[in-house]
Amino acid sequence: MRQIGPWLAVFAWIFGILLALMLIANADFGEAVTGFFNGAFGGRNLAYLFTTLGRATMIVGMALSVMISFRAGLFNIGGEGQLVAGGIVAALVGVYLPGPGWLVLLAGIGAGMMAGALWGLLAGMMYAYVGVPLLIGSLLLNYPARYIASYLVGHPFRDVASGLPQTFQVANEAWIPLFSGTRLDMGILAIIVVAILAIVYSNMTIGGYRARMNGLAPNFARASGLPVTALTLRTLMLSGAIAGLVGALAVYGVHHRFTDGMLVQPLYAWTGIIAVLMVGMVPWAVPLSGLFFAAVQTGAAGMERSADVPKEIALIMQAVIILFVAGRVAGANLADDRESGNGT
Amino acid sequence: MSGITVRFGPLTAVDQVSLRFAPGQIHAVVGENGAGKSTVMNVLFGMISPDAGSIRIDGAEKRWRNPQDAIAARLGMVHQHFMLQDAMSVLENVVLCAEPTRIFGFVDFSAARRRLEEVARLYGIGVAVDRKVADLSVSERQIVEILKVLYRDAEMLILDEPTAVLTPQETENLFKILRNFRESGKSIALITHKLDEVVAIADWVSVMRGGKLVRSCAMAETGKDEIARGIIGGDLPAPLTRGGQAVGATVLKVENLSARGNGRMAGPVSFEVKRGEIVGIAGISGNGQSQIIEALVGLRKPVAGKVSLLGHDVTHADVAGRREAGLSYIPADRQTVGLALDARVYENAVIGREGTSAFSKGPLLDRPAMVGFARQLIERFTIKVAGPAARCSSMSGGNKQKLVVGRELARETPLIIAENPTWGVDIGAIDFIHRELIRMRDLGHAILLVSTELDEILALSDRILVLYEGHIAGEFAAAEADRLTIGALMTSERAA
Repeated sequence: MRQIGPWLAVFAWIFGILLALMLIANADFGEAVTGFFNGAFGGRNLAYLFTTLGRATMIVGMALSVMISFRAGLFNIGGEGQLVAGGIVAALVGVYLPGPGWLVLLAGIGAGMMAGALWGLLAGMMYAYVGVPLLIGSLLLNYPARYIASYLVGHPFRDVASGLPQTFQVANEAWIPLFSGTRLDMGILAIIVVAILAIVYSNMTIGGYRARMNGLAPNFARASGLPVTALTLRTLMLSGAIAGLVGALAVYGVHHRFTDGMLVQPLYAWTGIIAVLMVGMVPWAVPLSGLFFAAVQTGAAGMERSADVPKEIALIMQAVIILFVAGRVAGANLADDRESGNGT
Repeated sequence: MSGITVRFGPLTAVDQVSLRFAPGQIHAVVGENGAGKSTVMNVLFGMISPDAGSIRIDGAEKRWRNPQDAIAARLGMVHQHFMLQDAMSVLENVVLCAEPTRIFGFVDFSAARRRLEEVARLYGIGVAVDRKVADLSVSERQIVEILKVLYRDAEMLILDEPTAVLTPQETENLFKILRNFRESGKSIALITHKLDEVVAIADWVSVMRGGKLVRSCAMAETGKDEIARGIIGGDLPAPLTRGGQAVGATVLKVENLSARGNGRMAGPVSFEVKRGEIVGIAGISGNGQSQIIEALVGLRKPVAGKVSLLGHDVTHADVAGRREAGLSYIPADRQTVGLALDARVYENAVIGREGTSAFSKGPLLDRPAMVGFARQLIERFTIKVAGPAARCSSMSGGNKQKLVVGRELARETPLIIAENPTWGVDIGAIDFIHRELIRMRDLGHAILLVSTELDEILALSDRILVLYEGHIAGEFAAAEADRLTIGALMTSERAA
């Protein structure tokens, strides 16, 4: 990141391609750029900034979940399944558990985290004891999670009157409060805490050290007597719990119920994976990376609104920005690796 | 090559080195690890661009952008660490990236096979082209690497430490092949630190030290001692001495242990290692050493038998349990088993002990303590590295190995298992590691030394076991050990 030159080149490319796309779409360039930044960070009473932060909550949360696994050398791409498992369980607890609001909220979040952790653990046990490659096992577990959730909200727990495949609403008292005067809920605070804990865990604790050694050199970790199997299971549970937390926050903070597809369609889990890979799994950079992805997404939506850019063009622009910035950051990471790997 | 200079940051790895390689000549390049000989060869092969200097072939100046350019100019290199696809056959490995193709890009394997068999016959190489590389022994893999180069019509062959993993017999076989190349007018660059080999085969020798070319002359004009002094830049280390000493109680007891791995069965074997002795297990690689060691260390479940450490049955304990019970392990493969190359020195220095109170406070790591411990190891074992926070990948092979040895010996466990502890390291590091092992023996530790280097076994062991096809083919006390008898046992059980 030290050299400015390559970055200028990256921005020039992005600028050029976006300009070409606008010409095709016959949109006003200045308006589009204003629309983009306004859509990401502006709005009346900064409403769009809070939208960006709300989206960032989800993406950063999923990115942290993925980071914990990836750094340990565990290619857990089952974040989506863990997220959905957490969301549906949290929603059911929220709808059907009687009691004071704060208790329902805490119980729901706890149950969501537990559900996510168990879903992660399942992939881990298939890997550690049956030998199903984690990449495959964790990915395939996404589908049952999705369809079980679809079934639950489509049939036994459906709010039939609403007309949609979704649960009843969680009682008002159990909602996560909003920051006053905004539409941003305080779930972001939980993610900030998780981010701090994840960074501390990765850099400063015995568990984080062991996980990283296992990630860098699994044979080395095994021959040195690290508890590799326990480490695998624990790490996947940790990842799953964070994903489950994100699902619960989406339920209690944003949607107040579980609607079929609400956690899958925005691609939170996959965006989280890209956000982690882009910054080379460096813990402190992961939240920033997640924020970047959220801003690009809401910014593109803003451009669509204000500059009359068709939605598809806005999506292409979003992809172009991500492609160039991610390519540049990942490229810089690789170059760093090569430099420090010299001189054997 | 003339005036080649390569810098890595502030470090000048190669300083104004000029070398000539003539056809029909074996040119040995010798020097300690880190002397820059591998770097020079990597420049020659297009893997590194020099900061200064030029390469000429038959008088024409060449500039490589990458190894493909060098290969196109009929250079070939066999790397110290083999670059083969285990899951593919010999034939597939050899033709990879040089496949003869038919229309639509189908690979013409029958043409490739004919050509490969012709090449092999020409140089007297016996090879089963359809076997999977994973099933081959180390020496057979090396032959595959050489075939790869020959298949591409190389006129010049660069070999980086080719004999590091070979037995005396295999080395002789390799040299026979190299002599055939010389006969056919090819030029051979041999990077090595084994002086006996230089004397045996080289026509020309170049000595490098600290990135500079110290000497380059015909083999006839120099001798082994002179080369050795050139390498070290001073006098030779004194020969190893080993005082006699009474052995103590049994530390490791192995009863009818058998283990299966890589499709092969090893054992049953039974032996003991006592306090204050070095027991050497000699054998050609692939005769069950890795299976037995893994079963001893806890990396592999034994099929049958019993392992006791200090009288406790540890047959069913895991790696951590056995290390706790008093075992340290110096693995043969420092690149992936001994170290995490991308991690820092201090992170590698404390592995397995990160949870002890010396290096942690509650769940948190005590980083200053880790760094301090790494610094101690660096000083005590004279490891050349930028500092405790440097990445392990930045160290030379000998220094990496010193770090592994230092870490394991510093645990001061009753039993030390050392597997090829000096594989591919320089003379200075070999001498240092040998002395450390003997020092530990003199202090009363039990040492199990498993090595494919017969010289190492003979120099260090109080007792020698010979492993052949997974069984112990013979046992000797140090005094009665005879090189030829052991060598014969290593290759055939019937000779016993």
